[in-house]
Amino acid sequence: MEKQAGAADGAGPNRNPWGSPTNGSGAGDLLIPLLFLSPTGSHVEWCKQLIAATISSQISGSVQPDFVNRDNKVANSSTPIHSHLKDVMYICPFSGLLNGTLTITDYKLYFTSVEKESHFVLDVNLGVISRLETISVPNQGENTKGLELVCKDMRSPRFAYKTDESQPDIVEVLNKHAFPLSHSLPLFAFLYKEQFPVDGWKVFDAAAEYRRQGLPNESWTISKINSTYELCDTYPSILVIPTNITDDDIKRVALFRAKHRIPVLSWIHPESQATIVRCSQPLVGPSDRRCKEDEHFLQIIMDANAQSHKLTIFDARQSSVAITNKAKDGGYESESFYSNVELNFLEIPNIHVMRESLRKMKDVVYPTIDEAHWHSAIDQTHWLEYIRLLLAGAAKIADKLESGKTSVVVHCSDGWDRTAQLTSLAMLMLDSYYRTLRGFQVLVEKEWISFGHKFSARVGHGDENHANSERSPLFIQFIDCVWQMSRQFPAAFEFNELFLITVLDHLYSCLFGTFLYNSEQERMAKEVQAKTVSLWSYINSQPEDFTNPFYVDYENHVLYPLVSSRHLELWTSYYARWNPRMRPQVPVHQTLKEMLILRAELQRRVEELQREASSHSLSSSSEHSPSPTHTTGTPLHTAV
Amino acid sequence: MEHIRTPKVEQVRLLDRFSSKSTNGTLYLTATHLIFVESSSNNSTSAGQEIWILHHHIASVEKLSLTTTGCPLVIQCRNFRMVQFVVQRERDCHDIYSSLLRLLRPVCYEELYAFSYNPKQNDQQREEGWQLIDLGAEFERMGVPCDQWQLTDVNRDYKVCETYPRDLYVPITASKPIIVGSSKFRSKGRFPVLTYFYQEKKAAVCRCSQPLSGFSARCLEDESLLQAISKANHNSRFVYVMDTRPKLNALANRAAGKGYENEDNYSNIRFQFVGIENIHVMRTSLQKLLEVIGTRPLSMSDYLVGLESSGWLRHIKAVVDAAIFLTKAVTVEGVSVLVHCSDGWDRTAQVCSLGSLLMDPYYRTIKGFMVLIEKDWISFGHKFADRCDQLDGDPKEVSPIFTQFLECVWQLTEQFPQAFEFSEWFLLQIHEHVHSCQYGNFLGNNQRQREELQLRERTHSLWAFLMSEKQNYLNPFYSPAYSEAHPVLEPSTLPYHFKFWRNMYHQFDRSMHPRQSILKTILTLRENSQKAESTLQALETRLQQLGVTPVATSDPPAAPPTRIQRSNSNTLPPRPDSLILGAPINHKEVQRHEEEDEQEEVGEEAMESTDTERTVEGSSGTDSRKQSYGELEGTYNSDVAKEEPAVVSLEFGVARMTC
Repeated sequence: MEKQAGAADGAGPNRNPWGSPTNGSGAGDLLIPLLFLSPTGSHVEWCKQLIAATISSQISGSVQPDFVNRDNKVANSSTPIHSHLKDVMYICPFSGLLNGTLTITDYKLYFTSVEKESHFVLDVNLGVISRLETISVPNQGENTKGLELVCKDMRSPRFAYKTDESQPDIVEVLNKHAFPLSHSLPLFAFLYKEQFPVDGWKVFDAAAEYRRQGLPNESWTISKINSTYELCDTYPSILVIPTNITDDDIKRVALFRAKHRIPVLSWIHPESQATIVRCSQPLVGPSDRRCKEDEHFLQIIMDANAQSHKLTIFDARQSSVAITNKAKDGGYESESFYSNVELNFLEIPNIHVMRESLRKMKDVVYPTIDEAHWHSAIDQTHWLEYIRLLLAGAAKIADKLESGKTSVVVHCSDGWDRTAQLTSLAMLMLDSYYRTLRGFQVLVEKEWISFGHKFSARVGHGDENHANSERSPLFIQFIDCVWQMSRQFPAAFEFNELFLITVLDHLYSCLFGTFLYNSEQERMAKEVQAKTVSLWSYINSQPEDFTNPFYVDYENHVLYPLVSSRHLELWTSYYARWNPRMRPQVPVHQTLKEMLILRAELQRRVEELQREASSHSLSSSSEHSPSPTHTTGTPLHTAV
Repeated sequence: MEHIRTPKVEQVRLLDRFSSKSTNGTLYLTATHLIFVESSSNNSTSAGQEIWILHHHIASVEKLSLTTTGCPLVIQCRNFRMVQFVVQRERDCHDIYSSLLRLLRPVCYEELYAFSYNPKQNDQQREEGWQLIDLGAEFERMGVPCDQWQLTDVNRDYKVCETYPRDLYVPITASKPIIVGSSKFRSKGRFPVLTYFYQEKKAAVCRCSQPLSGFSARCLEDESLLQAISKANHNSRFVYVMDTRPKLNALANRAAGKGYENEDNYSNIRFQFVGIENIHVMRTSLQKLLEVIGTRPLSMSDYLVGLESSGWLRHIKAVVDAAIFLTKAVTVEGVSVLVHCSDGWDRTAQVCSLGSLLMDPYYRTIKGFMVLIEKDWISFGHKFADRCDQLDGDPKEVSPIFTQFLECVWQLTEQFPQAFEFSEWFLLQIHEHVHSCQYGNFLGNNQRQREELQLRERTHSLWAFLMSEKQNYLNPFYSPAYSEAHPVLEPSTLPYHFKFWRNMYHQFDRSMHPRQSILKTILTLRENSQKAESTLQALETRLQQLGVTPVATSDPPAAPPTRIQRSNSNTLPPRPDSLILGAPINHKEVQRHEEEDEQEEVGEEAMESTDTERTVEGSSGTDSRKQSYGELEGTYNSDVAKEEPAVVSLEFGVARMTC
């Protein structure tokens, strides 16, 4: 019930992300309206405001002190405040030093400025912290320490504070709670007990999703062969595999594929029956090993699609890397061993390259921007180049299915990074269901979470080892691609930019269980569904905030984004959102929402009158076209 | 026509600039246009695509050496269209080439299209068109003349300055001898005059050319004219003098006996350089940009680096920065500003007009924007004839200064979607006609020349034409309330707020068009709502006729909240088809080119889909998509499409003329 109280309180002037842009004296970055409530009960509201504030960078000048006080009281009574430090200086890269109070709870750190003129709040989810660094603070006297929080979301706030014997050092406190797993503490998601009216864990049901795709059919079956995760510990329990294959063969194929990730169906074309199949690299090795069962398996996949006598394999890797992998017992399918197979390399670099690319991007956008060399600096990161490779690769896959009516097999090395990116993007292009708010959640649950994209390793949830080479922003890259597509097709996606940013924020936050752990097996063992809340519970409890007002359901439309360099843009509203000079969005969406409300109202009224007219059995009732069946996105039929 | 040797060539191939596609057709050469008509061989349902190119739009024609397939002819247009034809026979190609060479270099003004263009209007209508914009009324709107500023007749006969208009506004205290004296001390006699008056603070924006100061020359009259400008504003004890040139350029000018104001000689001025480069730098910069974006396989890296090294966006930012400086000085400090560059007709026009646009919401309306261009550009003698190469002139005088101004405005519309009454279309259309020479407005270099050419009697006004099509240029996001709340715009100049204007520079490159446009979606939405409203009314009337009172369960459509709704609650004329956002394309062109887009990048040949149910956006086209390129039509506006007029202007705006 705290939730509801929160919503009521939140209905203040700043609740709407695109509210009136009455920003006061723009002193500093990230001035967030002080409307937060209890840190536990209303994290969600709070997060939303954080996002809202960053999207609009709107500053509310007026803050009632009551709010702050009450907030602290509630905070005291509910979540333990681990540290409450006065006289902390926030070293703002944009507006200089700010004096204030630093509070650390289980879940967040927030800094409130006490200076009367500009009320200022900076808050950081502890989960977003990548590492803590001590910095030197000259000219602030002895006993003053400097602290930099290097964050995963493209910012690094810095503080200076006086050390005090009587209090525990905040670095220690932060270390402990920002990296709970390294200190044998539970992730915050396990402590978070918010109740939502909608249960997000029910969003994805693999069997139901395959049924939606029209499976099983005569060629494909929904198999329980991996129900105990014995065949492949990183795959989900439910897999779709060809009907005509024996369990023994499958086991042999598993031995021939890296991490036992056998070829399984991800998506089937509703008309041509062409399929997207994903797997890991074959263990060909330096001696060019063959596996009859694997060859046969691909043959069956090809045969399952009557429309084409070919099968295309997209290896996401650079061809040179694939060849080197042979030396490490990996490799790729030889076109001479697999009949009628065409092999394409998509030349996408690996996770380490991507990590480096985003790291460079952070330097470009935070804290200051080199105006004279903006474009060349972006070029140096190669980030957009990789986005383009991904989108182009996914478009090739989609085109192969749609126009070529040919089944495709997608893999990289282990089949959980680039493979997930490519299959999910291709599915987004091919299937309009995935472009809905609900469908997109299913897509992420299916292609990423259930198929074992190693979120825990790639993000490093609660782990202090920031230098771990397993970390990489592959999922961010995917969301960026989705954003690029939504820019090119502004009416084709049911969700909006806020949704994408929210997903990314909670990728790090550890507030929800959705992105925790590396595989379905691990999640089962940790009882994630029982013990944590799903991000989709939160999202689906207030879908209106995340809905794109332009959305029109283009059923059966295949979207091919343009991937020319002229059409890709840096997602500054995500990457550069901490920059206070980021222009507030003019409330265009508000205008639109009003128009949509008006339209819905008109539509309702027309229907009402039509009903009434027909109930009065007008002779001319046949002149009226039937009332619209589809309420969203369909035209109002004019019937006069 | 005597210059046309071959009026028609068949079997000509049109090559696409960004893909390996080509289309076959026939090339026609008329007195005013070069027309390519695609032969409708393979697709019986639709007539072929037509491309009409006005001769005045052609910047250059190049004949490449003969290849096995024919003789290539490359045509580059001022509106950034680029076409390549391959003509089978070398002789035909040469004929067209040499005819074009003659046709696109008119020797006298009378050869320009405007003098033959006749939109079927009588003299009265023509006259009314020219009266649409009245600068006298505009100065009245600003509150001039007033107790400090007056209209002077010193230039009634263009005797003091032949590139200025007749009517000029100066401080009351500036006597004729002072003005005449000052004009002799300024390049081309362009002495300081008022261009915008910010009533709220009584601060003035004045413009002039550089002083002929050399290293030490002084002019007391000029000094007292500046003094008079300063005195006219009681809010401030000084005036800013903004030299829009980089300091180095100004210094170089000093050696030539020109230069800039010495703060020691003028009492109460604050002098400031703002560093906008000259016309030659701008010309080269845009050329570089066009080269970069014209490259077919353009890697991300080449694009980003090329964009930056062309410097184009940096120059745009420099102009916007200068306008921001001007705006702040006037609206925040309440100080009058005198703006100049060298001659005071290029950078000065850019900065004054852009500054006024930031200060005054009126200039952000359709009518106001016309007034702004008429005032700061046309009447104050921006040399359109030279800069746009209307006659065969000095290539060194050609420069995209006005294009740059339009782009600055576009960048602002991107930052402030609610602040402008007009959409991108309006800007593109103006740009089109600055070069088309179809209307009289932009012909010649100054007002005096225009009077000599009797343009008001012999040609038509673009403003009247644009006004008659006003519906097409409305920005659905426009909110007068926003302008009331934010009369002065404060744009951000972070680098990512300056974007490449794809719809300008790739206007005619179909493969570069956006996939979907929000603007179009909203326009459709609005039309739907309006239809719903009329349906509603009709139903209610009907019910009333039947003696039934409509159920009062709902309030009448929830008090339409949007202003847009209010302002055009009545019938909206159907939009022409060419208002497909992304670029002006004609109906016929649309159907043909659907396929080509993705190929270049994906490198896959997409096969025609035979499925009727699944629709492909972007790559392979199916016949089920009747309407548009790059637009998801869906079902939701199919009824709108039906009502659209059958006659479609071919090139957006350039009316069809046969001869």
